[in-house]
Amino acid sequence: MPKMVLAGIEIEVDEDGFIQDPDKWNEAVAKALAETEGVTELTEDHWKVINYLRQYYLQFGIAPMIRKLCKETGFTLKQIYDLFPSGPAKGACKIAGLPKPTGCV
Amino acid sequence: MPRTDFGPPYYGDMLPPVIKRNYGKWAYHEILRPGVLKHVAESGEEVYTVRVGSARLLSTDTIRDICDLADKYCDGYVRFTSRHNIEFILSKKENIEPLIAEVKAKGWPVGGTGSCLSNMVHTQGWIHCHTPATDASGIVKAVMDELYSYFEEDKLPAKLRIALACCLNMCGAVHCSDIAILGIHRTPPRVNHEMLAKVSEIPTVVASCPTGAIRPNPKLKSVDVIEERCMYCGNCYTMSPAMEIMDPENDGISLWVGGKVSNARSAPMFSRLAIPYLPNNPPRWPEVVEAVKHLVEVWATHARKGERMGEWIERIGWETFFKLTGIPFTDKHIDDFVFSVPTFRTTVQFRW
Repeated sequence: MPKMVLAGIEIEVDEDGFIQDPDKWNEAVAKALAETEGVTELTEDHWKVINYLRQYYLQFGIAPMIRKLCKETGFTLKQIYDLFPSGPAKGACKIAGLPKPTGCV
Repeated sequence: MPRTDFGPPYYGDMLPPVIKRNYGKWAYHEILRPGVLKHVAESGEEVYTVRVGSARLLSTDTIRDICDLADKYCDGYVRFTSRHNIEFILSKKENIEPLIAEVKAKGWPVGGTGSCLSNMVHTQGWIHCHTPATDASGIVKAVMDELYSYFEEDKLPAKLRIALACCLNMCGAVHCSDIAILGIHRTPPRVNHEMLAKVSEIPTVVASCPTGAIRPNPKLKSVDVIEERCMYCGNCYTMSPAMEIMDPENDGISLWVGGKVSNARSAPMFSRLAIPYLPNNPPRWPEVVEAVKHLVEVWATHARKGERMGEWIERIGWETFFKLTGIPFTDKHIDDFVFSVPTFRTTVQFRW
């Protein structure tokens, strides 16, 4: 596994840049990951999505479905794409430090 | 911002002029010879189609070769069929022979129409996928080499559709083909406890199992596999890279028969298990090739004209099918998944 220096700490990432250990995540790491996904500034709206994903993952052990994410944060899917250009999975989940989405993506 | 969401190019812009002129106004068609079709429009205009087999995985150089042929004989128009054959559409009858000669000189076969074996619908295999139990392109090449004459000559009772999928995701058409080649595993997944929670979502992995063989193991922050309940589908590996199931010794191939999708004569059918296991034997898979060839030959000798593999089996009965093909009937053939009862025999009608 390759390693990346994110926010001053060395973290293991996979070939798509998802961090391998969810426990190593913190806000500074999120900022560093955001830069790799074309998000230059994490606004309040960004944090609303990231914190929701993070909280849901810690509580249930899975990433929420898109419908759930939209309903709970109040953003439409289009707005989520405006915030995270590479989308809720590759963009928002990566920045929130969740495991890489699997299945026939 | 780059331009997004503009969809595929409009197909109407790429139709040959003769097709455009007679769109929706075709009177009838004929198969002039295997691989060559003639469509006649109400206006009397005729269009000829030469169908050529392709390997599906093509280099850009090959595609350029196809384009060159299309430029030379078809005014630059060409299409691909839903079984990955190439179709050259000609408005001039005199172009047919020179085109076929040039295609043959390249080593490409002309055929796949009518009661022929058409191309094999197949998948990624070891070329590109991470969940296969076997290869796709290699077996397809080996099987089509052996059955080459069935592609080029019209000598079967009915259409023969062979499909291949390299795992039981069944991408493509294996569940509904006359003969289906399907990659299978025969050993349970090996759980990487250290990695599992980091790279996957445990509830998703548990829910991915069709037989409920996966249980969470909170102590290890991982899952356990109840091996007697596992039938090695590999679905959990799709959901989690920590559930590796590939096993070069035990992975292999199963053969299925009797599926169809058309509504002609009989309703569409699923293909059903004929041979539970054949080994992976690259690069030529002789056991698989031999078994497929045998199934085709037995069907071709016994079926009535126009009778697809599934219709033939339904007429003669499965016990006669196993007798004629000489395939041993085993416990593996008996359905045991959830609602399997309707597949059992609930009658005294059978043949000794």
